[in-house]
Amino acid sequence: MTDASNPAAPAPAPTPPDSVSLTIDGMAVIVKKGTNVLEAARTLGIDISAFCYHPGLPIVAQCRQCLVSVEKNPKLQPSCQQTCGEGMVVHTTDAQSTLARKQQLEFTLLNHPIDCPICDKAGECTLQKLYFEHDNADSRVDVPKVHKHKVVDLGPTIVLDQERCILCSRCIRTCDEVAGEHQLEFAHRGDHEILTTAPGAQLDNPYSLNTVDVCPVGALTSKDFRFTMRAWELEATPSVCTGCATGCNIEIHHKHDRAWRLVPRHNPEVNQYWMCDEGRLTYHGLREQRLAGATVDGLPAGLDRAIRAAADLLSPLLSAGGQAVGVVLSAEHSNEDNFALARLAKAWGVSSVYVAAKPEVPGRADGRLRVADVNPNTAGVARIAEALGLSLAPVGDLSAGVRALVLLGSELPGVDEARLRELDVIAISAHERGPVATAKIALPAAAWAEASGTITNAKQHVQRMHAAFPPPGQALPAWEAVVRLAHAAPVGTAGKLSYTHAREVFKDMTQAVSAWSALTWARDARPLALRFAGSRG
Amino acid sequence: MAAPSTPPVGAPPPGDASSRSLKQLVLGRKDVQDLSDTEQELPPDLMTVNMGPSHPAMHGTVRIVLTVDGERIVAADVHPGYLHRCFEKESEYATFTQVFPYTDRLNYVSPMINNCGWAMAVEKLMGLTGHLPRRAEYIRVIVSEISRITDHLTCLGASAMELGAFAVFLFFLKAREWLYELLEKVSGARLTHSYVRIGGVSKDLPPNFHAELTLCLDQIVKVMVEGEGLLNNNKIFRDRMAGIGAMTKEDAIATGCVGPIARAAGVDYDVRKDYPYSVYPEVEFDVPVGTTGDCYDRYLVRIEELKQSIRILRQCLTQIPDGPIMVDDPRVTLPPKAATYNTIESMIRHFKHIVDGIKVPAGEAYAFVEGGNGELGFYVVADGTGRPYKAYVRSPSFVHLSTASKLIHGHLIADVVPIFGMINMIGGECDK
Repeated sequence: MTDASNPAAPAPAPTPPDSVSLTIDGMAVIVKKGTNVLEAARTLGIDISAFCYHPGLPIVAQCRQCLVSVEKNPKLQPSCQQTCGEGMVVHTTDAQSTLARKQQLEFTLLNHPIDCPICDKAGECTLQKLYFEHDNADSRVDVPKVHKHKVVDLGPTIVLDQERCILCSRCIRTCDEVAGEHQLEFAHRGDHEILTTAPGAQLDNPYSLNTVDVCPVGALTSKDFRFTMRAWELEATPSVCTGCATGCNIEIHHKHDRAWRLVPRHNPEVNQYWMCDEGRLTYHGLREQRLAGATVDGLPAGLDRAIRAAADLLSPLLSAGGQAVGVVLSAEHSNEDNFALARLAKAWGVSSVYVAAKPEVPGRADGRLRVADVNPNTAGVARIAEALGLSLAPVGDLSAGVRALVLLGSELPGVDEARLRELDVIAISAHERGPVATAKIALPAAAWAEASGTITNAKQHVQRMHAAFPPPGQALPAWEAVVRLAHAAPVGTAGKLSYTHAREVFKDMTQAVSAWSALTWARDARPLALRFAGSRG
Repeated sequence: MAAPSTPPVGAPPPGDASSRSLKQLVLGRKDVQDLSDTEQELPPDLMTVNMGPSHPAMHGTVRIVLTVDGERIVAADVHPGYLHRCFEKESEYATFTQVFPYTDRLNYVSPMINNCGWAMAVEKLMGLTGHLPRRAEYIRVIVSEISRITDHLTCLGASAMELGAFAVFLFFLKAREWLYELLEKVSGARLTHSYVRIGGVSKDLPPNFHAELTLCLDQIVKVMVEGEGLLNNNKIFRDRMAGIGAMTKEDAIATGCVGPIARAAGVDYDVRKDYPYSVYPEVEFDVPVGTTGDCYDRYLVRIEELKQSIRILRQCLTQIPDGPIMVDDPRVTLPPKAATYNTIESMIRHFKHIVDGIKVPAGEAYAFVEGGNGELGFYVVADGTGRPYKAYVRSPSFVHLSTASKLIHGHLIADVVPIFGMINMIGGECDK
């Protein structure tokens, strides 16, 4: 049968011992033993329709949408659950499985409400996508739809619309597997079956918003995002979460120069398909207490004037040996920002270099994605200081002789108010809070979503962040503020600091830090219009 | 009031008034008879003259840098200018359906034909060619031929006006307006129709359309009799058209000329006959072909094409069947509104059509129609998403304008006007 249907097939290559070879839609493929048919088909570019299957979750074969015919098998098989066997012949486009797909979609849509215009998922909905691609037939229903509850408060982050739910159980499995907490369940049977919280539980685990991502329809909606922005109008730029030292890969979904939500991006080495709720909401910080213009003595000043004032303040102190100047790196800023400032400290001959970081939150660590260190770049700062031969001290151990402090970021933990009043702080920061609010001079910096750069997570992965939208007002990337400060106060070799692009800082950095010597700078990512990216389910 | 301490502005300088004429004072130059012999001689060098962009006979942003030897043109450099239309690039950022309004603005004197051309290219990719309802095909031919008439009426009327025959311009534009009003009843817009859809047309013909179009055609025949009577054997008109801007058959083919320009030169090529599309094989019409390839032949070819279009329209009005106006294919057809609002299936389909766009299978296609100015082709590359990966338009004006400098060469400055008028360059189509 196989040979007859595919007479031109070349002689099969010997299959490696841990692999099996099979034929899907006339195409031969060799996959690892234990791979399911659905994944094997995807390697061939055949996207078998499915609702309940998710590569990061256990397989339940619940939605019956991925049925395919397997030769010598009397019944259709769910391709997500069917393990590939040696010599198996699978058809995904024959009459039987095509009909099954269409009928299953018609069945799924039986009681689905007509909500697309008001549904948060519209435009990125798997049900819309699969119906349009695989069925696209008119309705044959002439009886009223079964109604269920439209607004069910499942917990602090999520609202459920039971009518939209297609009962795929992805959310239940996500809570079980990703958060390790059983908080969702199905109740009742037949067309009265609903998703609900488990007895005595509510959906309050720290990974709850992942259920919104995996939901193939708009049943689970995020209280944070719902009714704010239509999904198809957003643009996606890849980045990395700055909520903690894990560095989950994310996409910033943005429009009109602001972020509207963060969603996890698949990275098997770091975060699989997931991220925590806390990290997901960090985008709000991008618009809070922003420093959009430079200040001198707490009053607005032009950027050039502020930089000149900083240089006038620093130059005499630096010329006198630099003992009175301290430089504070930030575990919250990118490698490039820190490297540029560390280079400047070296060039000025400043020996008092510190690192500022938010204090650890021990209760946060859960052995999954969340860790105690809530600074995204602790590891990177340490690497850079080590490579440049700087001995980093916590900023709390500020030496008594320091009169002026060049501060990156808005954290200065361990420095009491009395000491802070004695200091002339020159802050380069995205936010006007803490020591920046009382700084002698403050220079506005781009926040993490506004500048290209890299950060290093706790496992020493150096990960790239792309600028999603321009920074507000006069703000510029922190490394650029550092370079301009260097040119205004060219004491020592500081005048030679000549970066004009984050790429150049990166290049210099990879030459200086031996562990990063093999890294390369990827091209800036262009925002992807979700409207034309298709529903990604 | 105090007396002014300075003489009033414009008054002649005291003591000098007798030695200068008023003209000298106002214009700063002398009469010819006051010039010396050496001053009266024409300079022997060539002169460069800018014709356009703000010249009544230069259309849109076009200007021609003429190098003249007296009145004789020895070189002409045509600068088309920029409309910044970016049709081809803009199309990559719109869904296949959203491109229709852009095509309206290509040759904006015959937008319906552009609509049809774009639809045919996408339909070719989707395998719909030949499967459209016959009523839709007939409607497309009807609106295309009406558009051809408006195109030719504009071209001929404007050219006649530029040669001084203002009445003809008014007559022809009056006739064009009847058709614009009719097309407004059909599509809802006077000029930018966006009427055609992939898989058919957006709405059916309005009630009483047949009677109104018949009446229009009868009136237009009368207007043409008037117009031809004023032009055909008019000495001024013929003197300025005949033998001017002639092009040989070989040149027409070599430069890629199409439409009335090529046919006037003797190239018997009409897409409607040579690569028949839609229901053109079912109607009878002739393709006029000229002999001399000059401006007068181009005029005659267009006049005859008007008559042929009227002939086609009359046949279509008797032959058009009843039936649906969109193909019954859920991939391209929007569901009826009642179904959209009341069933989830139609709601999803409507949503997908509008937001993501019609899903066109990956591939490439070229479809071409006989536009007002000749072969109008659309080349589309699809990558399986809802918008074109690449769109290219083979616009006749773009090709024809490239021949302008050669046609003008050797003629008098006054001949630029009929030559340029008969090329019928449409800026929206030229700047793609």
